[in-house]
Amino acid sequence: MIAGSSSHQLLDFIKFLRGRDVPISPADSLDAVHAASLLGYTDRSTLRDGLASVLAKSPYEEARYHEAFDIFFGLPTPRDASSIESSTEPNDQNQSPSEDSQGNNGEQPASPLSALSQAASDSSELSDLLDSSLVRALQSGDEASLSVAIEAAAREAEVDNIRLFTQRGQYTRRLLDALGETDLRDAAIQLEQENPAAFHELQELRERLRLRARDRVERAYLVHTSGDTEEFLDNTLSEVKLSNISPHQMMRMRKLIERMARKLASRHGRRRKRHRRGQLNVPATLRASISTDGIPFTTRWKTVQRRRPQVMAICDVSGSVAAYAKFLLMFLYAVQDVLPRTRSFAFSSTLGEVTDWFEALPVEEAVNAVNRTYGGATDYARAFQDFADQALTDIHSATTVIILGDARNNNSDPRLDLLAEIKSRCKRLIWLNPEPRVAWGTGDSAMLPVIRHCHLATECNNLKQLERIVDKLLADSRR
Amino acid sequence: METSFYQALNDIEGITTDFEQAGYICTTRIATVVYLAAQLNKPILVEGPPGVGKTELAKTCAQVINKPLVRLQCYEGLDEAKALYEWKYGKQLLYTQILKEQLGDMLEGAKGLKESIQRLHSTGDVFYAKEFLEPRPLLRAMEQEQGAVLLIDEIDKADFEFESLLLEVLSDFQVSIPEIGTVQARSKPIVFLTSNDTRDLSDALKRRCLHLHIPFPSIELEARIVAARVPELAGKLTDQLVRFVHAVRELDLKKAPAISETIDWARSLLLLHAEQLDSRLVHDTLNVLLKYEEDIVEAEDQLNKLLKQTTA
Repeated sequence: MIAGSSSHQLLDFIKFLRGRDVPISPADSLDAVHAASLLGYTDRSTLRDGLASVLAKSPYEEARYHEAFDIFFGLPTPRDASSIESSTEPNDQNQSPSEDSQGNNGEQPASPLSALSQAASDSSELSDLLDSSLVRALQSGDEASLSVAIEAAAREAEVDNIRLFTQRGQYTRRLLDALGETDLRDAAIQLEQENPAAFHELQELRERLRLRARDRVERAYLVHTSGDTEEFLDNTLSEVKLSNISPHQMMRMRKLIERMARKLASRHGRRRKRHRRGQLNVPATLRASISTDGIPFTTRWKTVQRRRPQVMAICDVSGSVAAYAKFLLMFLYAVQDVLPRTRSFAFSSTLGEVTDWFEALPVEEAVNAVNRTYGGATDYARAFQDFADQALTDIHSATTVIILGDARNNNSDPRLDLLAEIKSRCKRLIWLNPEPRVAWGTGDSAMLPVIRHCHLATECNNLKQLERIVDKLLADSRR
Repeated sequence: METSFYQALNDIEGITTDFEQAGYICTTRIATVVYLAAQLNKPILVEGPPGVGKTELAKTCAQVINKPLVRLQCYEGLDEAKALYEWKYGKQLLYTQILKEQLGDMLEGAKGLKESIQRLHSTGDVFYAKEFLEPRPLLRAMEQEQGAVLLIDEIDKADFEFESLLLEVLSDFQVSIPEIGTVQARSKPIVFLTSNDTRDLSDALKRRCLHLHIPFPSIELEARIVAARVPELAGKLTDQLVRFVHAVRELDLKKAPAISETIDWARSLLLLHAEQLDSRLVHDTLNVLLKYEEDIVEAEDQLNKLLKQTTA
């Protein structure tokens, strides 16, 4: 069925793939065109395998690619529409005269058709209309010329510019206008009173045309924009405040977080240890040359020993930040995947390490377990104390400590001296507060004194901010 | 055209049969990618779990087209001196020591530093010539007159920086040596890179490669592979063995047995003159198939169930 496709269609496919989270560079597209011309368009599975090797770059992308290939090339193309689409139409009998309607022609459509043609014999306008190629194609079920007409009209109506699902109606209307459907409508209005039989016949033709047009628009939508809409939704969602995200968006949110973690992983998850190579260690080389009479036969090179960066994340899961906690924990879960040396802690009053849960359990279960065990009323003093007991000695000069919380301590002393001690031991102490900056220090918020004890204190309540902060954090930790 | 060196790779069906004759059963997917690689002059990045025949693919390819296989095994800390080229420092030093007197003769009578230097210049960069260059695998592959197969094994083990080093080699088939200039490949080799997915490779590297993911094979394919590799083994036993391995892969194991382990196991059974799988035989030879004690315990716990699935 791919026969007759051109590189133009291949480029459409690539655009379609891009919309489905498979990034493809222009160079890849060129390779794909080369590969396709080598492999030919006749053997579907060879083409599918060959293009996969050029376009999909990981098992994940490969899965998406195969899915997309089947959707895209499974769709009828304008050229072979007649062979496939006829079976998807609701009223099959009238569609393909070559096959089944020849038998039917004699009995069923004969009488209503004549109603319309009788009406036409009374009115020259109507007979002109019925004589137009479009209506004749509709009446005889000539799929090929109908497809050609629709394609031409689609170009005129710029159907391929469709961007949003809700624009379907609008574009279908435009396509029908371009097809000259208004004349049919006018004729139908006239006939409605005068000749009900002919009216119904005409309405049926119109309905058939409308279905075809909507089909064409939906296909354009699927090919050109399904990706854009997804992207649009994702972008919106990542800028929405975490607490405002409703439960039915959880699935999408989880996917987003996972994708974000994957992105961060590929950007930063590489090597965490580096040697400086290619620089001569002159003193050592000179020393070694003593045994060869000052001629430096053995060379010594500089190396740098590095301490691997370590992240410790502490997440407040108390009632006041419950709405955020879920996402923050999800995010911590993802981060722990990316940075193997991450230790995660959760608290509301007592604090405990949850690293092992994140490693062992799938994300939903892990998050629920943490919430169940550590949820409750906030007590920062207690939490800091627990953290100091459990992990203070493990904090060293390459450790980054991230605290996620609102610093609302029910008006009791948050023991900032402990925070100060943590700060003095670690490389960086970062406080991420889900509350907007203006709310810091209001009511029982102890955020203002907290700022003094942090290297960085910032507002963080949507995915975009979170990603930016973690990206920066990871970039710094590589240096 | 360089591709004329690789005439054996000019059609997909030919590749399938040639590889099969060399003992490598490949799917059309694999054959298609090898074909494309030879035609487009692009490296193949082969990914997949350990032991599914990634390295073997490159070896077979070299065998089929009858070209030398140049292999570069990657490891953490691999650098250009081990992968591209190295100056024979010892030789350079030794020569300067030996030629000390000649240099003295040459510079005799030279007036002042300037003239001495000029005389030295007139000799050219003798100590930075091809003779003092030690080609490492990448350069060696470029230097093969009649084409070659270059295997860069386990690229994911190498450092991130090393990937950038590869980019020039993989896209332009050339090596830049500052002292000499750019060495172009005499004929473009067919390049295979293998990766076990221990880390993500950089986009720049991925972009330059064709991608081939080899998963664990289906039962039918694996049976054909075992039959090709261990033809002496009775067909019925081969069938049983492959189905047993597939059942084992379904278990929750630390390391699932790969094709190479299946083949090893088949060979062991052949040595033991086994006629069919029974619990005793499996019990005695399971350590060929599974490499971790806990996996062996896990499999033995379910041995009867597994055997029932296999012989059913």
